This record gives sequence, C-alpha cells and structure tokens, in this order.
Amino acid sequence: MEEKIMNEIILMAHVLFGVACIVATVWVFVDTLNAREANQPRIRWVSRAAAIFMWSSFLIGGYWYVVCYPADKAIILKGPWPFAHNYFMETKEHLVIMLLLLATYLPVAAANNLAANQEARRLVLWVSGLIPLLGLMIEGHGAIIAMGVKVALLARQI
Amino acid sequence: MKNDSLSKPTVSFGVALAVGSVANALLVIAKEKSPAVQSLMKRMTGHHWVTHVAVIVAIYVISRFLFTPAISTSRLIKTIIASVLVSGLAIVGFYLLAD
Repeated sequence: MEEKIMNEIILMAHVLFGVACIVATVWVFVDTLNAREANQPRIRWVSRAAAIFMWSSFLIGGYWYVVCYPADKAIILKGPWPFAHNYFMETKEHLVIMLLLLATYLPVAAANNLAANQEARRLVLWVSGLIPLLGLMIEGHGAIIAMGVKVALLARQI
Repeated sequence: MKNDSLSKPTVSFGVALAVGSVANALLVIAKEKSPAVQSLMKRMTGHHWVTHVAVIVAIYVISRFLFTPAISTSRLIKTIIASVLVSGLAIVGFYLLAD
C-alpha cells in the first residue's frame, strides 16, 4: 500500500514539474516580447528555472517509467485501449527527449543581450514557443496513458 | 547599443540541439526496426530507453564542441525548427504507420 502511494507521489511530481516547466517557458516568452535591460535578469532566471523543472520532471518520470510502469503497461495491453501504450507511451518517451534538449538550450539562448539583440530575441521566442506546444502535447499523451490504465481496470470489473 | 550577433555557445548548442533531435528520431527507427540494436541497447544499461537517453545526451554534448558554424541567426532558427518538426513527425509517423 505504501509503495503504491509512493508511486502516485512520484507520478504527480513528474506531472507537476512538467507543468512548472511549461508555465516558466510561457513566462519567458511573454517577458521576451517586452525585453528590456530591467527584465533581462528575470528572463535569465526563469529560463534556468524552466530547464531545472524539465530535468526534474524528466528524471522523476524516467525513474517511474523504468521501475513502476511495466505493471501499468501489462494492464494497458490487456485492456480495451492497447494504443495507450503502443502509440502514446512509445511516442511520449521519445518526444520528451527533444523537449529536454529544447529546455536545456533555453537558458543558453537567453544568456544573450536580449534588450539590444533583436535576433537573439527571435531565437528565444521560437525556442520558448516550441517548448509549451511540445509540452502540452506530451501532457495530453500522459493523460491518455493514465486513461488506458483506468479503462483496462474498469473493463476487468464488468 | 544594437548588436545582432549571437554568442558562440548559442550557435554551437543550437546546432547540437538540431543534431540531437535528428539523432533521436534515427535511433528510434534503428532500435524499433532492428532487434539486435534494441537488444544491445538493453544490455548496455539494463533498459533500452536509458541507453537511448544517454546516447542522445552524449551526442548533444559532443556536437556542442564539434560544430560552431558561422551561420546567421535566421538560418540557426530555421535549422532548429526544421530539425524539431521533422524529428517529431518522424517519431509520430513511425509509431502511427510503420510500427
């Protein structure tokens, strides 16, 4: 029972850090639209925070995927939504690596002088625009995987 | 003062990001199509996905030191977007159609 609660806490922390990364990246995007000398330190700090959130979510999620997920995978594959693993989990576990690379790159791009450098601003806007799009897509995949477990367990009861 | 050039780490890490994204998609296809590759990756760390992540992070870090091309910011942005879109579509398309 305690192990099950721990698994749930790990999973919630994974999602929480993922959402925090998306929120931080949207913050960077909006702040960069209005980049000045005054908000430049904040853009840099929030972009570092986004990278830290992403790495935290990735490492926690990676631990959960390797250690805890095989039990859920077996349940999903026997249920009515096998595509929750065969397509959604398989896609998610590989798209997230690109998200990790993008989030790692964000503080590097934000280290340029955004107040004076219009091209650097464009780069940061593109990178901080791609991260929430990919992040929301991956969050959606996670929701379908969770639903895959749920419908499989419901189907067992019927 | 206006200054439109990017720092060297910005260019090299940007190119490394593009290289890492493409390598990620190619490694997905290689390991899913070749049981030998998948089995080798599993033997290396105990889980094929852990090896996959380690290989891509290593490629990202190594590429950062290998490539610092003199390219414009517009070209760097296009390279990053193209690599992320093409790799993302390759992964999605592969699991949707080919696997």
